[in-house]
Amino acid sequence: MLRRRHSFAYNLVIFILAQLVWLAVLLLWIYWYVKNNIIFEQVGENISPQIVYDAPSVFPFVGGIVLLTGLSVSLVLIFRHLNIQIKLNALYDNFIANVTHELKSPLSSIQLYLETLNSRDVPDEKKKEFYILMMRDAERLKNLVNSILEIASMDKKKFNRDFEVYKADETIKKIVLESAEQFQLKESVIRFSGDAGCDILLDRNSIKTVFDNLVDNSIKYSVSALEITIKFKRNTKKVEIEFSDNGIGIPHDEIKKIFQKFHRIYDKDIPNVKGTGLGLYVVREIIKNHKGKVLASSEGKGKGTKFKIELPIYVEKKRSLKGNKKDFKNE
Amino acid sequence: MSDEQLDKSKILLVEDEENLALGLEYNLTAEGYKVSLAKDGREAIKYFDENEFDLIVLDIMLPYFNGFEIAKHVREKHPQMPILMLTARTQVEDRVKGLELGADDYLTKPFHLKELLLRIKGMLKRKKWYQKVVIENPIYKFGNSEINFENLKCLKGKKEFQLTSYEAMIMKYLIENKDKVVTRKELLENVWNMNPEVETRTVDNFIVRLRKHFEDDPSNPKYIVSVRSAGYMFQV
Repeated sequence: MLRRRHSFAYNLVIFILAQLVWLAVLLLWIYWYVKNNIIFEQVGENISPQIVYDAPSVFPFVGGIVLLTGLSVSLVLIFRHLNIQIKLNALYDNFIANVTHELKSPLSSIQLYLETLNSRDVPDEKKKEFYILMMRDAERLKNLVNSILEIASMDKKKFNRDFEVYKADETIKKIVLESAEQFQLKESVIRFSGDAGCDILLDRNSIKTVFDNLVDNSIKYSVSALEITIKFKRNTKKVEIEFSDNGIGIPHDEIKKIFQKFHRIYDKDIPNVKGTGLGLYVVREIIKNHKGKVLASSEGKGKGTKFKIELPIYVEKKRSLKGNKKDFKNE
Repeated sequence: MSDEQLDKSKILLVEDEENLALGLEYNLTAEGYKVSLAKDGREAIKYFDENEFDLIVLDIMLPYFNGFEIAKHVREKHPQMPILMLTARTQVEDRVKGLELGADDYLTKPFHLKELLLRIKGMLKRKKWYQKVVIENPIYKFGNSEINFENLKCLKGKKEFQLTSYEAMIMKYLIENKDKVVTRKELLENVWNMNPEVETRTVDNFIVRLRKHFEDDPSNPKYIVSVRSAGYMFQV
């Protein structure tokens, strides 16, 4: 932390110095031109009108100024780029700290239960409880590792997807309920409404990741009894899935940033501080890869969050165009 | 002192990772301790204010108030409360910050169950030993300093400050062994009740802080002197 601040101040000083040097050169340049010009004019006037003709032309003067300005602009650009890099580094460091925490927590829990089982006489009933807790931790580790690997392949634009045609509402409902079960939510917490009645082309595993992340966020960022509503709506070319919760919402100035990689909201009132800052970034990338769009909105802090996901409706002729074989899935 | 006396010690466990908290609660209860589990910073402070505890096991990354803030709150009210910080962070700065705010010990996740239990036992034993010796002789004066081992308030000249419980224990130990060389190993074993191979730097960190408190010139100590390749010695 200290070192980072130091390097920023250091860069700033260098930048200001460079600008001063540039300004000095510019002033010298102008001074030199003006001085010479005056001499030439004076001498020219005194000796012969022909010499005036040979006086330094405006061209090198203007050219010099243009070059110097170019230098200064490139300096500004380099400085800006450096600043972005420094900010990114800070985010990355933060990410590493968060990932370390997210990896170590389930790991320490698993280790603790294994050591407990190894060193104590644990009654059978408790044993079973411990196994379930350990499996949950292993699942958490698996999800984290997957999302890190996912990010790596996203950054390289290497998508290895398994697209198939599904019935929109049925499949999404099923996926959301699976996510809910994974996070031990009661079915009654989730309500569905609306009707899409169409087919969509999707990679089931990555769409599951999308809803895992959304459900996980809803749980993390809610203070009272959680309610999640999922609304389906069909437009001419797109199906709209609206995922909303009654959580603490998002402050207006943060809405734009939440899909950025590593971005996390820090707020005293937000009860959960855990996470990697990758969740919503992954959501957006996956939806993009489905040729869809995802938008977030919130009435403000304390008023819940709404995610609107738009996915293109799958139409028959596309399949024949691409020559896909019949892989219609009915769930 | 028999372990039975420690059995009924009350421990405040502050951990928001549910799975880990349940496992810790199970183990501490199995050891005979009475455990109260707080799942976030707010609960931790509420429980601490409303009840008496013998020791606190404290996570750092917590909702509402983090472990550092809780440690500070605890120290203000109860300077002698032993605090064991439990954390996934391994950076030196975190460690230093934790110790400065008055954590007495620091364990990084993932940890070994046996080590955790040993440290807790050691901390509780120390607390009991300390309480016993302090009753006999609560105030000690040397140079222009004065230490009250009961409320951990100190005076150096006109400057008043507060020691953390481990700082006080080390001072007490050094003073009890006045003019004798105390090795780091000895301090680790007797004050921390810890395996000396684990962390000799912890001792050095504490000595540096004690010198800042009591020496006129901490880089040229008069009272807490280093004995080359042996340890430390308290002299007046």
